[in-house]
Amino acid sequence: MNVLSLRDLRVHFPGAGNPVRAVDGVSFDIVAGETLGLVGESGCGKSTLANAVVGLVAPTGGSVLVRGEEIVGADRTQLRAMRAHVQMVFQDPVTSLNPRMRVGDAVGEPLLVRGIARGQDLRRRVGELLEEVGLRPEHAMRFPHQFSGGQRQRVVIARALALRPELLVCDEPVSALDVSVRAQILNLLVALQARLGMASLFVSHDLAVVRHVCDRVAVMYLGQLAELAPSHALYSTPRHPYTQALLSAVPEPDPVAQRSRARVMLTGEIPSPANPPPGCRFHTRCPIAQAICRSDIPVWREVGESQVACHFA
Amino acid sequence: MSQVLAIENLSLSIAGARVVDGVSLSVAAGEVMAIVGESGCGKSLTAAAVMRLLPPAVRQEAGSIRLAGVDIARLRESEVRGLRGRRMSMIFQEPQAALDPLSTVGTHIAQSLRQPLHRVRAEVLRMLDEVGISDPARRIDQHPFELSGGMCQRVMIASALIGRPELLLADEPTTALDVTIQAQILDLLRKLARERGTAIVLITHDMGVVADIADRVAVMYAGRIAETGPVDALFAAPRHPYTALLLASIPRLTDVPKSVLAVIPGRVPGAAEFGPGCRFAGRCPLTEPRCEAEPPPLAPIGDGRATACWRWEQMV
Repeated sequence: MNVLSLRDLRVHFPGAGNPVRAVDGVSFDIVAGETLGLVGESGCGKSTLANAVVGLVAPTGGSVLVRGEEIVGADRTQLRAMRAHVQMVFQDPVTSLNPRMRVGDAVGEPLLVRGIARGQDLRRRVGELLEEVGLRPEHAMRFPHQFSGGQRQRVVIARALALRPELLVCDEPVSALDVSVRAQILNLLVALQARLGMASLFVSHDLAVVRHVCDRVAVMYLGQLAELAPSHALYSTPRHPYTQALLSAVPEPDPVAQRSRARVMLTGEIPSPANPPPGCRFHTRCPIAQAICRSDIPVWREVGESQVACHFA
Repeated sequence: MSQVLAIENLSLSIAGARVVDGVSLSVAAGEVMAIVGESGCGKSLTAAAVMRLLPPAVRQEAGSIRLAGVDIARLRESEVRGLRGRRMSMIFQEPQAALDPLSTVGTHIAQSLRQPLHRVRAEVLRMLDEVGISDPARRIDQHPFELSGGMCQRVMIASALIGRPELLLADEPTTALDVTIQAQILDLLRKLARERGTAIVLITHDMGVVADIADRVAVMYAGRIAETGPVDALFAAPRHPYTALLLASIPRLTDVPKSVLAVIPGRVPGAAEFGPGCRFAGRCPLTEPRCEAEPPPLAPIGDGRATACWRWEQMV
């Protein structure tokens, strides 16, 4: 069963001139228990897409089905019901937590406001949630500032897990963390996925992190998908020239391997999403662009195990 | 090769706590030396000390910082000002924040030469071209808000290098940039080191960036250098447990997906919690009683390498 289905999702923001087409026709599904990675550079629309999935921004078009129920155009009651099944973890654990709220109250709040637990029962369940993310029940009495960045992200994850969501949306969950702490949180996320069997949408700019935690990966460029493939296929045989360039730009922490790697160096900058180039949106930076790329929008098609939007993949 | 920068036994303190403790390192002309470490390890303070741009709360307790033989710490402020931009320059993480929003690109770069733009316009245009800015004749009269992050970083590099300094300090120069732009900027820095002979000190938290561009690296932990040496040897066979764990905790494109990453237990000690011994002792798998009691000196172990670990031979 699909936990999440996006069909031709569009999120446009009004701008001074043309609207900014942050998300411009994205379709994919996430099945139960699956982790889908969404990668791309800043401004590609990946965070806007994540926000649309949890109902934080209103889509301008298309469809978002959460467990088969449409949330585009849904009213507040329907959105509230949906959010019991979809929870989110943001990049910065400092701004994700109320500094004046004890972390036990923050973690227990979803259970309290939905009338699921209170009193003694609530305290017990908060303790269990904290243990689930590697903290101790007695930490419930502390305030966010008494924790390190990694511990705070654990608190945020515990809160997101409180309602046992079927889909966890993570937007750059480890980008603000130091290297050694990042490994702890990644290990936790992988373990929780396996134990709880929940599906995830994992948004990140870091291809090595995405490969580490995801079953399938979608690559986004200027509001659209360039490629979508099972993780092993995307990393071993990237089909889209943008995917190839992104992968070759990730510096490997191995100097000898790094020197011998073939590079696909992109020139130029990412165009504005208010004025995306005609034809293939990537053609202004693409090393293999031809005349057709400047005029014709590439059809989304299957190549091997991958789906790709490129005339020459 | 002649040493452009030689830091000897540098110690900096904040409210009595040694946040940089006995750091020594050197960089030669045309060489890229990386200082790598996690937040709070003292890498940025070390660079700020070289530029004499330390925050007021930080005191230099000991050590010397020699730029082509002259100790910067002993110079008067006016003398140091004469060195900045001409002998040594620095670039920062947030290029937009480091550029004056009201200055045009050209005016900003000309300031490094202490000249009005009209007198050095040709030189500025050449420099913009050298750092890979397309259409310099148009860009020179634009403001920072009209440029992307990658282009702002190129402008900052241009203004840092137009005075032809021997030393460039780059503090997380690509951290705010996307990977495809990061690759371009790292290529540019590598080219500048090679073609101009600029000595570069690159401060970063990213081991991938170190592997990509550095000739040598110093790994810092809690204010001290844990280990230093040429990148190939250090990455292939770390000789400090912190380096080894740090490298093992990084997810790689070659990993088995969903495998368990190595974890360094605990967290970096705060400046108030430093013990008398090795500052990594509380988190180290090789700790013995001596590590808690006595700080290991950064001792040479051959092939240009040095490690500050009593038990490094256990890692061979």
